[in-house]
Amino acid sequence: MKQKKKRMGAIALMIVLTLSMILTGCSSKSSSSEKGSKNQTTVTFWHPMTDVTGEAVDAVIKEFEKQNPDIKINAVYTANQGEGQNEKLMTAISGGNPPDVAYFDRFEIGSWAAQGSLEDLTQLAESSGVKKESYYPFAWDEASYQGKLYGIPTTTDSRLVYFNIDHFKEVGLDPENPPTTIAELEAAAEKLTKKKGKRFERIGFIPWFGQGWFYGWGWSFGGEFYNPETNKATANDPKLVDALQWMTDFAKKYNVEDIAGFTDSQGQGAMDPFLTGQLSMKVSGPWEVSAIKKFKPDLKYGVFPIPTPTGENHTTWSGGWSVVIPKGAENKEAAWKFLKFFGGEEGQKIFSGIARDFSVIDSVNEELGYKEDPILKEFVNILPVSHHRPVMTQGSLYWNELASAVENATRGNGTPEELLTKVNEKVNKELSK
Amino acid sequence: MINVKGNIPLAENMNSPKTGPNKQINITAKKRLGNWGEYKTGFLFASPWIIGLLVFYAIPLFSSIYFSFTSYSILQPGEFVGLENYKNLMNDELFWKSVYNTVYFAVFYVPLGIIFGVALAMMLNMKVKGMAVYRTIFFLPTLVPHVALAVLWMWLLNPGFGLVNGVLSTIGIDGPSWLGSETWSKPSLILMSLWGIGQAVVIYLAGLGDIPEDYYDAAEVDGANWFQKTFHITIPLLTPVIFFNLVMGIIGAFQQFTLPYTLTQGKGTPANSLTFYVMYLYDNGFKFFKMGYASAMAWVLFVIIMALTAFVFITSKRWVHYQGK
Repeated sequence: MKQKKKRMGAIALMIVLTLSMILTGCSSKSSSSEKGSKNQTTVTFWHPMTDVTGEAVDAVIKEFEKQNPDIKINAVYTANQGEGQNEKLMTAISGGNPPDVAYFDRFEIGSWAAQGSLEDLTQLAESSGVKKESYYPFAWDEASYQGKLYGIPTTTDSRLVYFNIDHFKEVGLDPENPPTTIAELEAAAEKLTKKKGKRFERIGFIPWFGQGWFYGWGWSFGGEFYNPETNKATANDPKLVDALQWMTDFAKKYNVEDIAGFTDSQGQGAMDPFLTGQLSMKVSGPWEVSAIKKFKPDLKYGVFPIPTPTGENHTTWSGGWSVVIPKGAENKEAAWKFLKFFGGEEGQKIFSGIARDFSVIDSVNEELGYKEDPILKEFVNILPVSHHRPVMTQGSLYWNELASAVENATRGNGTPEELLTKVNEKVNKELSK
Repeated sequence: MINVKGNIPLAENMNSPKTGPNKQINITAKKRLGNWGEYKTGFLFASPWIIGLLVFYAIPLFSSIYFSFTSYSILQPGEFVGLENYKNLMNDELFWKSVYNTVYFAVFYVPLGIIFGVALAMMLNMKVKGMAVYRTIFFLPTLVPHVALAVLWMWLLNPGFGLVNGVLSTIGIDGPSWLGSETWSKPSLILMSLWGIGQAVVIYLAGLGDIPEDYYDAAEVDGANWFQKTFHITIPLLTPVIFFNLVMGIIGAFQQFTLPYTLTQGKGTPANSLTFYVMYLYDNGFKFFKMGYASAMAWVLFVIIMALTAFVFITSKRWVHYQGK
């Protein structure tokens, strides 16, 4: 008994010792990396990237440091940055102690710039020859607010409809001629769906599943969400009402709660319903290609542009990331050098080559072979006509309001017109402040 | 923040059955008032906590009163706008929806929590072999982080392969799509929250342990049955603890955040049926740059909780029984 106690004590001591060693190890490492040599400027860089994108950004940093031995990049992983969850950066800026560079969702640039919390990069860009022409127009525009540049774009994406070739063959649809009009899409969805009672064995298509956001459908129906000249939201544009009406009719036809029951039971990754063959078509982005390669390499699939009512004027929308200098950053000059490198051709080639996210520079995408890949080329080819979400001060509010309008419309809590008019009123009231 | 306020008088109430009003303490306290030297040392030792309280609690608290009258956005100082934030709240549809959702949750969760909590505590108070094991089992869920709890229940409530609908189907019921349905999403959340009841049960157990055995012995001699013993001895003597858990339950219910936030990835889906008050407050503050508006919401919430707590305190005189009074 006594011996046992002694042994327990020894084990406890060992645990404490190892823990403290790990802890001190960590702290000493981080403090030494922050110091660097004397004439080195340290640029603190906050980013939320892990896994492959993490490797990609590390490679960019490594190359940049090699070319600029006087600058050291202190990359700090900061969870939950972007998509309206930037409270860490927000408090750091208002507390006057922000990082020098932050990886930033372009979607948010408008509202943050309006709050005066990002450094204006217009002059720096002009004097060092960084031009709009090098980038896809939407990417540059999304990084600008009221004619001024606030971020350097780094990545982008686009959205198409993925379809299962075997399913198409099985029900007699021609995989060589996938739907181009909304009517054809609907007919195909009906053919592909197998429903038993309340449960779907297979569902052809769900407009709002995956990346089927209302922005995409609105643009495909030819609507406009925002008028930059008057700074007014135009959510009750008749074409947008049409788009939402179509989604609502779809929800009614297949019973929205049954669809919710179906989508609730679906997983992610390998369990994604498109990969398990329970969903025949879905709207998604280029990242789906690597997911399929990883989890279901033998899946036969193709992509086609999001159908439109007329079968013409196909479009899509793109989001993506940028690098920004928060207001109050200490090492603005060194930070700009890093921004320029990251968003320039060289940095883009390194990043996009590893991360397999599209570059915002067309020639880089070409050079990396994206235009030769039968699937990815479709995603790249549509980029020149892609839309970006409106650059406005109430981007997040608008997004949330549109998302709930879709939910409410499809669940029969009001007509599309009523709901979109309400969204419009609410957002415009905030915009006029 | 707010629950601390409700806590202080409660703690006194909790102790009073044992010690009763003690005049002795008051006298010694008065004597010591003159002894400044000791006070100084005391304050010195307590100063880290006092400074912390002022800096991280009092200052933000009072700033938020001021901010609630401004258009503060965190990133910019904002202007004084008077009562505008409060007026806008009254016309904000989603605000009322979030109030409705939160009240709905509280109305069902708090009473159910007390009923199940007391019942469970009484069962766990029986003299059965291996009771420690049972007690542990019922306490364990409270140790599970809310995020993990949310993920777990998403599986259990899954309409396709979830355990709950699986069990229902064996008795011929075609279960709803729980978290996918506006009607069932809030009941689902209440069910999930009740799962973490162990914390309250521990307090009830302590309360049960405080009831003297003699009462039961005496009742038994008089020929009382189980029901009579429960409703004439156990429940009345447990009321101080029920009272405590009621107040804490109300406060907790109105501050519901982590569970619905994780479940819906912050979206309050389906169709805002799970947008709770604090979630909407958070959205306003950190997503829409409306910290002034969010501060106003926080103060409205404070007033609501304060009023409810005061109401419970006032009515408590009628139904809370302290031993020895």
